[in-house]
Amino acid sequence: MLVGTVVGTVWSTKKDPTLTGLRFLVIEPFTVRDGPRPTGEAIVAVDPIGAGIGERVLVVYGRAARHAIGRGHDVGFQCAVAGIIDRMELAGGRTVGTHVEFDES
Amino acid sequence: MFLGKVVGQVWATREVDDLRGKRLLIVEPVDDPRAPAESAVKPVVVVDTVGANLDEHVLVAFGKAARVAAGGDGDFAFEAAIVGIVDDVHAPGMPQSWRPIHLQEPEPREPEPREPGPKEAR
Repeated sequence: MLVGTVVGTVWSTKKDPTLTGLRFLVIEPFTVRDGPRPTGEAIVAVDPIGAGIGERVLVVYGRAARHAIGRGHDVGFQCAVAGIIDRMELAGGRTVGTHVEFDES
Repeated sequence: MFLGKVVGQVWATREVDDLRGKRLLIVEPVDDPRAPAESAVKPVVVVDTVGANLDEHVLVAFGKAARVAAGGDGDFAFEAAIVGIVDDVHAPGMPQSWRPIHLQEPEPREPEPREPGPKEAR
């Protein structure tokens, strides 16, 4: 499981039939050493809970992701949003909020 | 499975049902070979099954092992879990940073070998 910020949405019409009706988000993972810092990469995850752009989320992979999607384990995708972060407390007293603007250092 | 150090905690209200009531901690591997200033490693968010605290050293299991450790049928929406708190570690030649913080002894300061300068052109 890793932490990331939702930076976009993906639409796709021609896709695997097991993916019909699922919502796809583009997520940029961030690291927490010296405060939240974006890694510059992008991953695509299925969103079963309804996260919005700019929100910080928990991302799971593999069997855990297919379980989070909630359509059984025969889903053609291996990455999913498992939760929307309210708050993170880091060593050194730094706090990370739901959005970038709610961070405290 | 890896040895890690708890560096943070995460709270989430809107989450998949499997994560409800689970304590989520952020763990960094202790034997991570990256440069100290570099921050390229993504944090691992793990489910805590044993009650670890900030700055404690822990054992982290992945995959089915992690889900079984969290109880139930081993089918949850997470892939890593803390399955133990490290009391102490011994391995020949290991760095002090692998040991829990309260056991770390200050290493004797030796004059550091000078870094070789930029390679001279042949």
